[in-house]
Amino acid sequence: MWKHNRASGNHACINRCLPGNTSKTQTGWKRFLFLCRKDCRMLAAGKFFLLAVGSLILYTLFINLGYIQYMNAQLYNVYLYDPRGTQQEVSAEIHPVASLEELYTALSLDTNGVGIDASSGTPSIVFYFGSEKSDNHRADYALSLLHQENEYSAQIAGINTRESKQRKEMCCELLFIEIVAVGFLGIASVLFKEKQMGVIRVHAVMPFNKGLFIMAKLTVFLLADLIFAVLLTALNIGFPDAVAILPAVLVQTAILSLIMALTGFGCIMMLKDFRQFSLAYLIIVIFASAPVFLSANTSVKMAWIDRHPFYHVYMGLKNACFGTPVTNPVYYICCVCGIVILFLLVQTAFRREMGKEG
Amino acid sequence: MRGLFYQLKSVWKDKFCIMSFLLPIIVAFALHFMGGIDLSSVVQFHFGVLERDLSVRTISWLERYGSVTAYETQEELTAAINEPSTYMIGVISDGDSIQTMVSGDELDLFRQTADTLPALYAGRERTGQICVNILERPDMLAGFQNIFIAATLLVAMFMGCTFNAMNMISEKENGVDLVNQVLPMTRSGYVMQKIFVGFIGGCLSAVLTALSYFRLPWGSAVWMLVLIMLSALNAALIGLLIGKFSESLMAGVVYIKIVMIIFMAVPLVSYLLAADGLLSVLCYLVPSSAAFEGIMKLADSDMSVIAKDMLILMTHAIIWFLLYLLISNWHKKPGNEK
Repeated sequence: MWKHNRASGNHACINRCLPGNTSKTQTGWKRFLFLCRKDCRMLAAGKFFLLAVGSLILYTLFINLGYIQYMNAQLYNVYLYDPRGTQQEVSAEIHPVASLEELYTALSLDTNGVGIDASSGTPSIVFYFGSEKSDNHRADYALSLLHQENEYSAQIAGINTRESKQRKEMCCELLFIEIVAVGFLGIASVLFKEKQMGVIRVHAVMPFNKGLFIMAKLTVFLLADLIFAVLLTALNIGFPDAVAILPAVLVQTAILSLIMALTGFGCIMMLKDFRQFSLAYLIIVIFASAPVFLSANTSVKMAWIDRHPFYHVYMGLKNACFGTPVTNPVYYICCVCGIVILFLLVQTAFRREMGKEG
Repeated sequence: MRGLFYQLKSVWKDKFCIMSFLLPIIVAFALHFMGGIDLSSVVQFHFGVLERDLSVRTISWLERYGSVTAYETQEELTAAINEPSTYMIGVISDGDSIQTMVSGDELDLFRQTADTLPALYAGRERTGQICVNILERPDMLAGFQNIFIAATLLVAMFMGCTFNAMNMISEKENGVDLVNQVLPMTRSGYVMQKIFVGFIGGCLSAVLTALSYFRLPWGSAVWMLVLIMLSALNAALIGLLIGKFSESLMAGVVYIKIVMIIFMAVPLVSYLLAADGLLSVLCYLVPSSAAFEGIMKLADSDMSVIAKDMLILMTHAIIWFLLYLLISNWHKKPGNEK
């Protein structure tokens, strides 16, 4: 009875605060926008937007000034010691050395390099151990440079250049990190602040639809992540290329953003304080990111990685960045089901939390 | 001494500190007992071929250089070559010779390999008669594995930063900080206690992590211990600064995360990209760069330039301590207190 009266009182108060309520749907929308505005203010006060802008600048500088400039590797250097000039048809790729000492010094400084000692007239190969298979290739490659062969260029099967691939790859990785690690922490800090301030307690007695509170939060975080994705993609992949891939990238960003926002919301409802959340965060970030990055970006494939849900979401995002969006409907059905299940779990946890507070 | 006992008791009761302490040790144990992750595939070439296209002898020849995967159709092969996570080289037959195919977005290393592969195939008969002298050097895969453990050790070494910062923020939030101000304890005594707690925590965590993984000879073990102690001292001092300036637990966690990301990323990127010149000097501005370099050299049994890393870490310790004193004194001046 008391709760009912208190709720009615607050209802009247909120109705006065909110602009006119001509119809039920219109009032619902206005309440939703009211909650969104409140969440935006909370995010701004919690420096969430500042953190996102800072991350965007940092990532853009890293991609443009660091990653694409330095991330490359050349085939091994080959050093030839041939004092008697027995090798006549050597390739221009070979570095001649004047003495055996110079050859060994060059190899000690460039341990991936290959030395050819032709001082006896018959070439012999010398190099530091790498791995069995790469050593076979190093020896054969070095020998092939002693014979001038016709120039050959491999056929090109793809459409990307090294730079465009690196830009897309890093853009995808940083977007994933931003949403899973940085954004997730931002969600938690803002929600814990609200929890501490008693906002959930207030909501327990408000005549709002309880799902509206969660929906408003999800909408604000989703919009923030989508804007971040647009800016990161446009600034680093280039506007013309970005336009072509953005629709697919935004779909994948939305999936990841909703999953992370709901997971963050659930953690906050279940955990007592930010200290406990920090531990959960550490575990989620380590176990969600590390194996996924290893499997998705290198040739190291772990047998169980297909059962890791984040792997599929990450690959969805990566494929979207490379212009080959996932077309398998099973993936999207699984994503929607996962988000709905998470939403229901969060809603239950939220109601339980409000019950505790009330 | 009693104050120190209370500081240690407070850390012991803090689950966050205990978890931070145990995490690197658990990771080191996992890496040691599970044999790490199989990285052999990273340092070899990957070739894609069409089924029933190349002869068995050609496939065996390719397998001398790397792994070979067969695809049923040309479309599947092209899709595998264009897969962004791998650097697959497609190999197809061309009469008595072979032709290669790449995606066009790979590192120069793979493009050059694909360009030269037909020439290698043409000259495959002459390679068998050549004398090859292979010089010994540490296993490259062990080197990769060492990067994982060095990164874990780095987290452990700089755990003292988390200890101090979280402990000081907790004291602020619980009001212990206010109680401390009326206790008969000097500021320098308090600072020394905090540095000691962070230093001991970081040292213990790093020593246990190192013991879980490394089997170093005595000489290297002593150097490793000195490296751990210097890094832990730096971490404790940085933690002191974070703890002092964090207004709340959330701000503290964000600061720690930023510091940890910088501490992990700078040495790793610098190592993987083999940074040299001015860039490598700039990397030393982050204390973990010297620590990481020292660990990698000790893991490779190379103690030639470890003294340089020690000197850099000592310089960092002095600078961070002076910085703390300077900022504390500035804050204490009337009108500057917050």
